[in-house]
Amino acid sequence: MRSQNEFSYGGDATVKRPDLNKEISDQEWDNFVYNRKSLRGKHWELWQHISGCRQWIKVERDTATHEIFMTLKANEEISL
Amino acid sequence: MSTISALANVHSTGQFGDCENKNDNLLNISEIKNLLIVQIVQYKNSSISFESIDIDGLNLKDEPLSVVNNNETRILWNGPKNWFLISTKKDLLNNVLEVFKETDFAVTDLSHSRAIIEIEGEEAIEVLKKGCPFNFNTLEKNNSINSTYNGIAFTVDKLDNNPNKIRLFTLRSFGESLYHSITDASLEFGYKSL
Amino acid sequence: MTQSFRLNDVGLINRDKKISFKFNGVTYYGYEGDTLASALIANGVHLVGRSFKYHRPRGFFGAGVDEPYAIVQLYRNGETEPNIKATEQELFEGLEAKSVNCWPSVNFDVGAINNFLKIFLPAGFYYKTFMWPKSFWYKVYEPFIRKAAGLGVASTKHDKERYEHKYEYCDLLIAGSGPSGLASAYAAAKNGARVILAEDKSRFGGTLLTSDVNIGNQTGKEWADGIISELKEMPNVTVKNRSQVFGYYDHNMLVMSERISDHLPSTKKFHPKQRLWYIRAKEVLISSGSIERPLVFGNNDTPGVMLSSAAKEYLKVYGVLVGKKPLIFTNNDSGYETAIELKKNGVDPIILDTRKDPHSEIIDEAKNLGIEIKFSYVVVAAQGYKKVKSADISKISDDKEQLGTIENIKCDCICVSGFWTPTIHLASQSGNKTQFKEEIDAFIPGESKQNEKTLGAANGIYTLDETLKSSFEVGNEISKKITNKENKVSFPNVVEKKSTVHDKFWCVPLPKGKNYKRFLDFQNDVAVSDIEIALREGYRSIEHVKRYTTLGMATDQGKTSNLNGLQLVSKIENKVVPAVGHTTFRPPYTPVSIGAIVGREIGKHSKPTRKSPMHFWHEKNNAVFVDAGVWLRPRYYKQGNETLFEGSKREAKNVRTNVGVCDVTTLGKIDIKGPDAAELLNRVYTNAWLKLPVGKARYGVMLREDGIVMDDGTTTRISENHYHMTTTTAQAANVLSHLEYYLQLVWPDLNVNVVSSTEQWAGAAIAGPKSRDLLQKLFPNSDVSNEGLPFMGYMEGDLFGVKARIFRISFSGELAYEVNVESDYGNFMWEKIMEIGEEFQIQPYGTEALSTLRIEMGHVAGSELDGRTIPYDNSLEGLLSKKKDFIGKRSLTREAFTAEDRQKVVGVVPLDKKTSIPEGSHLVKDSNAPLPNPKLGYISASCWSVEHDNPFSLAILKNGKNMIGEKLYVMSPLKNKVIPVEIVSSHYVDPKGERVRS
Repeated sequence: MRSQNEFSYGGDATVKRPDLNKEISDQEWDNFVYNRKSLRGKHWELWQHISGCRQWIKVERDTATHEIFMTLKANEEISL
Repeated sequence: MSTISALANVHSTGQFGDCENKNDNLLNISEIKNLLIVQIVQYKNSSISFESIDIDGLNLKDEPLSVVNNNETRILWNGPKNWFLISTKKDLLNNVLEVFKETDFAVTDLSHSRAIIEIEGEEAIEVLKKGCPFNFNTLEKNNSINSTYNGIAFTVDKLDNNPNKIRLFTLRSFGESLYHSITDASLEFGYKSL
Repeated sequence: MTQSFRLNDVGLINRDKKISFKFNGVTYYGYEGDTLASALIANGVHLVGRSFKYHRPRGFFGAGVDEPYAIVQLYRNGETEPNIKATEQELFEGLEAKSVNCWPSVNFDVGAINNFLKIFLPAGFYYKTFMWPKSFWYKVYEPFIRKAAGLGVASTKHDKERYEHKYEYCDLLIAGSGPSGLASAYAAAKNGARVILAEDKSRFGGTLLTSDVNIGNQTGKEWADGIISELKEMPNVTVKNRSQVFGYYDHNMLVMSERISDHLPSTKKFHPKQRLWYIRAKEVLISSGSIERPLVFGNNDTPGVMLSSAAKEYLKVYGVLVGKKPLIFTNNDSGYETAIELKKNGVDPIILDTRKDPHSEIIDEAKNLGIEIKFSYVVVAAQGYKKVKSADISKISDDKEQLGTIENIKCDCICVSGFWTPTIHLASQSGNKTQFKEEIDAFIPGESKQNEKTLGAANGIYTLDETLKSSFEVGNEISKKITNKENKVSFPNVVEKKSTVHDKFWCVPLPKGKNYKRFLDFQNDVAVSDIEIALREGYRSIEHVKRYTTLGMATDQGKTSNLNGLQLVSKIENKVVPAVGHTTFRPPYTPVSIGAIVGREIGKHSKPTRKSPMHFWHEKNNAVFVDAGVWLRPRYYKQGNETLFEGSKREAKNVRTNVGVCDVTTLGKIDIKGPDAAELLNRVYTNAWLKLPVGKARYGVMLREDGIVMDDGTTTRISENHYHMTTTTAQAANVLSHLEYYLQLVWPDLNVNVVSSTEQWAGAAIAGPKSRDLLQKLFPNSDVSNEGLPFMGYMEGDLFGVKARIFRISFSGELAYEVNVESDYGNFMWEKIMEIGEEFQIQPYGTEALSTLRIEMGHVAGSELDGRTIPYDNSLEGLLSKKKDFIGKRSLTREAFTAEDRQKVVGVVPLDKKTSIPEGSHLVKDSNAPLPNPKLGYISASCWSVEHDNPFSLAILKNGKNMIGEKLYVMSPLKNKVIPVEIVSSHYVDPKGERVRS
């Protein structure tokens, strides 16, 4: 468990980048680049441990109460 | 050719702070120079077992906080399959390049990239508690962590208990700022800079 | 000066140490262990200040954190601090204090005129007045309010004290060392837990210091002393006095303010005055006790009206009498305890009990001591302006609505007790939604949201027996969870007097024909009539009533007023108190000094700075530095009396004419290794990277996923799978995180390592027509001719015994090279360059000249790559590969990005060839067009072109590619300038790029 100031926020963890060279509609692309749900409640997000091991991790946090429920490594999948 | 170490322009010898009635129970602060610092990273898809590689009689350990060491060399865990090898034997670099093959490992010499402060004494941990949010009550001998001190990213390597002997590594350019913060925090306890 | 209200043989002060101090210029004496308040009361001083709004005379109300009136300006060791509570400030030799909010003196205060104008200054005053006429705000009202506002005066001197921080961890943090804190700490510590016990006051024990109880075969105080001594000896326990836990934050972190030297005349050198502890505890126990509730009646703010528990504390802890003819006005048994203590010490109190016929052991003891008690009686109003001289009292009907005949009795103080308000602040801060407990008519903590529990009086438990029992149990249980041990401590026998229920009555009605002010909030002068006005005007929610009347908003945060205010509102509204609700508590519990919060990050330490290995050379050579993020970079090297303009012009001209050297260490360097390194570059850069030969460098542009340019730099292939990437100084950290993001989360199949090497190498840019000649002399054994080291080439060299990397790349647009050596040799390299460069008229140049050179060359940098521009805008569309996908490519097909008249970077020259163009100004077609004038573009960077000897700017201009030759206007409303300009190519100098290739 480490202090929050060792980390840097990195956005929504459930967003998957489409593969390179893939045909993709404008709407799908916009969803990837811009559209996000701004949830009140449990939310999976990315944090990088910049002052530590420089690993990106996935964190399930309640945006209203800050309670942390779970963390996953970069290569672990979120089961929705 | 002449060299100037990271803290050469800020570190001066003397006694500072509240040294009254302390006899020799002061903190000792010094700059450590001329160490070999090498980053060793195993590529994700490499299937070699890193445990089987021997460097200066030591084997790598992929465990957070761990330090594998002998008298001259210490290998600090820096992340998954990511280590910092630190040694007084500068020519060890050649061995490192030999045993950690380019096909499986990235080896990068970063010997000049750090400023290193060594602080020794009973109150060394108290000094760290002033600026770093890590729980130092749990840091044992031969443990190392990366954290921040007053906002400056640094690495803490605990060499010994009784008395505490700790090395702090920070990016060279931050050296002066970290040195000021650490020595300032040491004034309350009194320190000797060597 | 005699201390005429000091008793001889009671109290915990040290009578061996007499202390002299000054209040409002008069010298008094007290003892070590006194507070300023207790010492003043001992000397018979009761007039301490004037109230905030009405400037009514005010005295002491409480004995600690609950004090609303006695706020003073403190002088200590040549410094001054405002708004110190006299009831919290410990006395030290030479202490000086003054009253605030009064002029010319507390005794004769001109501001008291407000008191007589009070009918014109009701609640809502702040919102309703000072609105009209509009022009009066700046000229009349604001200066008046500014003078009238505030209490003490802030010091204008630099605070020389040290304030430190500490991050600590523990199993159990206990806030408060009253009976519940001591018992739980003891039980938990004996069971092996790491405990921190924090006590706000200087003495441990809380109510055990003033209560008449026995624990085991000891008095309450003896038991407390014994427990503390034992705790102090235990290695797993930290006991701290003078330390207040003032805030409860996320994830069980609490902050505690330790007052190390506030009680001493000065602070020991090198030591802090205060220390702020950031404590992360596995479990928290809140034993913060309760604060006595006042009773509300006419002129209840008169000096001499105080809380009865405070009167008891002054007597038992400080040996001080708050009066010699006290009246005790109470609705519960607590007031009796004060009366009994006073009687035992030679004073004859009279008790007025609002209850009709209560019975208990305490009441019997009072009767047996011969104390006069009047049941069903109330104080209608206190009489006396600067001090209580008498009280109007009367019998009250059973329904508490009718007053009887009013009689006046002489008294010199009125000690009030309206039962108790649990101190639930920390629990509430932790997220605990408090609940109303009917039996005590107050709020206690409800369901915990974090790992905390509240014990004892703070939880509404008012018997010592139950408090100790539950605290021992909780201490044991909690520690067992953590240590898995089961060392139970035995529970001692408690002897205390039993009490009976309190009266649910707090506010005495007004007699007919009288409109005495009955105060609820003592610090902000909010009275019953103000609440009535708010409700009449339609304010319903307690949050609105609070803000309209300012009830509970003073520095004491409503500690003695919130509950009475709520009670009144609910009574008038005919609602139940919990339905009215209460406000959310926020940290800090009491004021915390800003110095403690800042700690040691002041002056030189207020933010970290980064310095290059050549920094001291720059300093010695008159460099004037500029902040580049956290780095310090030379802006120019000042010669004689020259200005920035002159210096940078000189340096830039010298680069174009001879040769210059610039410290470029700060630019990001990322070492990239791995079999898939080229593939990674190919995906993050817009241009092609798979075929870059070893020993060659290439310029690259990186986009964000939305197509906007993120950064640019040159990346060199050092060996087959080894690359050296450079970034701008500002984006170095972002680019590294960007690469790590893609390698860890998006393309984990790529075998690449990226690591920052910015600090490993010191870098110097050598630029100008003579740079090759200089380089050849620096590296006599290398072939650095145009063929040996072509444009965008790379080689390794030997700089007089030092290994070096040589890149032929140019930011200035001149023939240029960048030399890197390992940082310890940085200074050596620089001095060698200067030494050997002397024959070529070398001069060092800073960021100002560097900017000039690149601007007039039309090279884009941060001011154009500002997070809003795409490659086309920066004339970099030639670098977009058509054959491969890369980050950001898909977004470039957006309609707006492909518009025919899309903005593009251009050059701008003033027609008069003289006027400098301010950065950030706008480009318009017609400067006289009516507002809003259509904006065609903006100036991104300006310089004095040393090549053409006139001002030159770069701009991002709509339809830029078709605007060359157009005449436009630059408008800067901020600098009040309108400048006619001509649009030219952004490549103002060497448009064919011949110099770098020479």
